[in-house]
Amino acid sequence: MTYHRPTCLDDAVALLQCAPVEVIAGGTDWYPARGDRPVTSDILDITRVDGLRGIRAAPDGWWIGAATTWTDILRAPLPPDFDALKAAACEVGSIQIQNAGTVAGNLCNASPAADGVPPLLVLEAEVELASATGQRRLPLAAFLTGVRQTALQPGEMMAGLWIRKPAPGRAAFVKLGARRYLVISIAMVAVWLRLDGSLIAEIRIAVGACSPTSVRLTALEAALTGCRVADCATRFHADHFVPLAPITDMRADAPYRADAVQALIARAITEAAL
Amino acid sequence: MTIEINNQPYDLPDDARISLLDFMRERLELFGSKKGCNQGACGACTVLVDGERILSCLALAAQYDGRSVTTIEGVANGDELHPLQALFVENEGMQCGYCTPGQIMSGIALKSELERGAPSNVSADLTVAPRMSRDEIKERLSGNLCRCGAHNGIIDAVAAYVGGEEQ
Amino acid sequence: MTNIKPNSSSHKSDPNRRQVLAGSAAVAAIGAFGLPVGAQTTAAPAASGAFASLGVPHIRRDGAEKARGGAKFAAEYSYPGMVYGALVYSTIARGTITSLETAEAEAAPGVVLVMTHENAPRLERPEPFYSSPTGMAGSSTPVMQDAEVLWNGQPVAVVLASTQEEADHAATLINVAYEEAEAVTSFDVAAESAQTSFYAGRDLLIEEGDAETALADAEVSIDLSFNTPAHNHNQIEPHAVTVLWQDGILRMHDCSQGVDLSAITIAKVFGISPAEVHLSAEYVGGGFGGKTVWQYHILAAAASQLADRPVRMSLTREGVFRICGARAPTRQRVALGSDREGRLTSLIHTGTTMKIENNSMTEPFFEQSEHMYRADNMHLEIRAGTMDMLANTFMRAPGAATGTFTLEVALDELAERLAIDPIELRVRNEPEVNPTTGRAHSQRALVDAYREGARRFGWIPRSGQRQGYREGEWQVGTGMAAAYYPYKRFPGGAARITLNGEGGALIETAAADMGMGTTTATAAVASERLGIPYDAIEVRHGDNTLPGALIAAASQQTAAIGASLTAAHEVLLAELASLVPATSPLHGLPAAELGTAEGALYSLADPQQQIPLVDLVALSESGTVSAEAQGGPISEWTQDWSMHSTGAVFTEVRVNSVTGEIRVPRITAIYDCGKILNSKLAESQFRGGIIMALGMTLMEGASFDERNGRVMNPSFGSYYMPTHLDVPHIDVGWTDIPDPQAPTGARGIGEIGMSGPAAAIANAIYDATGKRARDLPIRLDALM
Repeated sequence: MTYHRPTCLDDAVALLQCAPVEVIAGGTDWYPARGDRPVTSDILDITRVDGLRGIRAAPDGWWIGAATTWTDILRAPLPPDFDALKAAACEVGSIQIQNAGTVAGNLCNASPAADGVPPLLVLEAEVELASATGQRRLPLAAFLTGVRQTALQPGEMMAGLWIRKPAPGRAAFVKLGARRYLVISIAMVAVWLRLDGSLIAEIRIAVGACSPTSVRLTALEAALTGCRVADCATRFHADHFVPLAPITDMRADAPYRADAVQALIARAITEAAL
Repeated sequence: MTIEINNQPYDLPDDARISLLDFMRERLELFGSKKGCNQGACGACTVLVDGERILSCLALAAQYDGRSVTTIEGVANGDELHPLQALFVENEGMQCGYCTPGQIMSGIALKSELERGAPSNVSADLTVAPRMSRDEIKERLSGNLCRCGAHNGIIDAVAAYVGGEEQ
Repeated sequence: MTNIKPNSSSHKSDPNRRQVLAGSAAVAAIGAFGLPVGAQTTAAPAASGAFASLGVPHIRRDGAEKARGGAKFAAEYSYPGMVYGALVYSTIARGTITSLETAEAEAAPGVVLVMTHENAPRLERPEPFYSSPTGMAGSSTPVMQDAEVLWNGQPVAVVLASTQEEADHAATLINVAYEEAEAVTSFDVAAESAQTSFYAGRDLLIEEGDAETALADAEVSIDLSFNTPAHNHNQIEPHAVTVLWQDGILRMHDCSQGVDLSAITIAKVFGISPAEVHLSAEYVGGGFGGKTVWQYHILAAAASQLADRPVRMSLTREGVFRICGARAPTRQRVALGSDREGRLTSLIHTGTTMKIENNSMTEPFFEQSEHMYRADNMHLEIRAGTMDMLANTFMRAPGAATGTFTLEVALDELAERLAIDPIELRVRNEPEVNPTTGRAHSQRALVDAYREGARRFGWIPRSGQRQGYREGEWQVGTGMAAAYYPYKRFPGGAARITLNGEGGALIETAAADMGMGTTTATAAVASERLGIPYDAIEVRHGDNTLPGALIAAASQQTAAIGASLTAAHEVLLAELASLVPATSPLHGLPAAELGTAEGALYSLADPQQQIPLVDLVALSESGTVSAEAQGGPISEWTQDWSMHSTGAVFTEVRVNSVTGEIRVPRITAIYDCGKILNSKLAESQFRGGIIMALGMTLMEGASFDERNGRVMNPSFGSYYMPTHLDVPHIDVGWTDIPDPQAPTGARGIGEIGMSGPAAAIANAIYDATGKRARDLPIRLDALM
């Protein structure tokens, strides 16, 4: 087993051609993901690749490099649109994990309960995938294809995330767990919205831990557009929640999850509109 | 490939599978950092890397080539305990002592994070420097589990160390 | 956990008995500890200044070493040529191993040995608790002796390699094939054939009068059922041992709660003498009942013998869940009948729990119901079913942890039905003598604890109406419950006292300190007993070559040490008497007429007549004076008295009406546990139990997959315990009334904190929401 630590992206993607290689950044999931399986592949550490760590503001949006940690997100001067992402940054494991773990790693793991996904879905983030043959961009929703499954092809790695500059809005993230810290969500919700006085001019709502991958509730978003913030909860209808498929497990049963999601959405809207 | 631990340089191991925690414990006999869960859920292995706390059980030692690590063995001044170590003893911030090194390393990091003004999940506003409170300390130490139940003493010790606490 | 059979010939108390004993020599001896009763009867110089030790909040002696990271735990001893162990666990609940492919593992880099049942040395079955006075193992299941698999997670192979990484890697290369047999992995199925069980030398069945008829006839009655899951100790230090065979001695650095019993149990497995095992555990990273003898000890020692190499065996966290036992699940019924005034006419506490074929540990969840309240008729009974699972075992407050939850929730419900304040209901049923044995209480001030707790908490008395209120989304309520844990003292305690020429003393005892502060408390007790300054006392512990066979279990170790020190002190007085020069007025006085205080030997009859201890030590040939003795008979609790600790726990709970989230912002608990030896350490012990109980109430439980008998959450990421943010500041207090029958006046404090909070929280949740939770943990969805 070899440990590769390239300093430029070209070298990194070249190494991906020589299978099998596992890409790590913070590396915080590498050991837990081993389980009982023997180590068979080389490791490609991308943390020293030039330009992959940090957040850059461009005229039309922001770039979050694949080696950017949760703590980097938390400390970056970002507009209120990113408040949901920052709130999620505080909830990813412990501060010790936030200091090492990366946003990109959270997405590549593709856990149904990944804290980073709902806030990035409401920001309509796109992922940039790099390979020896070039780069491509995918909407985050298309990148996450199932439980622990992504659209990453052999030879590809995530280089970073693009977030297009929206009309200035605000965001909130709420998470429900069986204890107050270090929890895997029973359910979580991210909301981004733009107000016109007391009316909702535009809203995006994403729910995590209630379906194989986190999802946007576009029907609900449509129903709430133009609605007064205070009236939102009265517009909820069972049809709006069809994309969700909550399960019963040792933390909570499915009907509770379904109810809790609605309460969390109402709470997140209120919080974002404050 | 070298790593600095408590101001001493060490060659990194050839076997890249080795975690920073195992490297310190099994190769260097630096047993102060503890292995509680070995999967990032208890905080007993907390160390500082260039002043920031991480979990050494989740870190591949090789990742930290060229970096400077501080462990519990590196915070006292010879025989004189670090102020937070002394506060843990005075405030009965421990029972069995197994989670203690991690709690103390987190407490030390926590103070500098607060001084830098980094918000946390219990901070009312994520965009301004947090106000010191017991909840703020608890939140920031919650990645360090204790099973004996010394929580009250631990928070007392860290609150006294951080200072400026509102009850 | 030794085999003690309480005297079954109970006697109703003689009202004069206590008075008679209060003036007896037995009580006078305790006077030297500064206890009120005895102090009045002795003429010993009063302890003061440097000599005052009991009740002083000394900081823990091992604190600085632990804070430095310098305390050495079991996996932190190294030897030349040492290799690392890794285990392979079975993946079926019951059956036979049909093939083991180990060639690839044996050829893997660094591998020194692969051990399976095919090449393991022949070993005796370990002696489990209660099978002999020294049994310390979780079960008598043979350790890698045949192809039979008895639980999902049983070790089926051991790999030794030069590094942990190599051992772990090679373990993944072993292929095991099984022929599965039908396994019982369902509670319901096992419950069908559950039998009235047996625990600690007695049947778990108590019947007084006709409880069912009394229940049916009662003016007011309730009949409730409850479920509690399996719980894991989850000490932050995973179980580990470092082993080597050297010069005919099996040397083990362990994390044991009872070094002597562990050594004896392991010696018997290997067919060697206990003297050929040297087992030490100076620091133990949490115990809670789980740091006993499990298969890893034996596998490490056997593999070390086979490979002729020192071995370090550190269990992974998952390994701890797979092979070190946990608290068993229970299904309980509590039915109470009373008259309109709340006097209990019927108390029924029955139910079912699970154990395995190869142990006799039945979770004794009715014990508090036996001792806490008077009732005209009682039926207490525990049935145990047998499942194919990892051995269940002791965990902090066995029985009482879940038993007080069910009983105390039931009392709350009864109080509501009767429109009587819950405290008042309990006071009305406070027994004058032990309700089942009829023995007099050695000391009991539970009513004082209720009153003091109510005052400090700000308890609002209620009569059938909830007091809960709403604050925005949050529903706020308060609740209370009683706490209970028995006093015990096991035989086998011993200590050696050695006086040195500098006025100090060395205390040696094979006791364990898993963090309770044993060495600190022992030094204080010895200081008070000997009249030697606290700082001049050195304590050595945690090594089976030291005197005694003590075990840190059942909250009794401090009592056992106290009795041992008392006995050793008596021998020491005789040694000192023999050194008194002929010119001294003390010459010729028998030991019984001598005492030690303020660094001197003195005459009890004439305390002014003294000789400094250093002068006497100087006269000895060796330059030290040493005395060793075993603690006296344990009849104080097995025959003579009803000795039980109690307490009152109050909580405030906030329940979110939208999400069902539960917060516990406030807890007050007042305990009646006899004398408190060190307030700082005691506070921490009480809080520790309360916090573990908070976890049990709101989040803890091992999820057992009944399809295959496998624990589904064998990690800290999936088995939740309280974090700092879940834990409020906890207000604790105590009556601090010495128990005249306990060796140091103290009854033990390690476990009682675990009993009471679950019911107090559940009762507060009801007060807040109007919903009764009868299953643990109380999940968010239970309240929606």
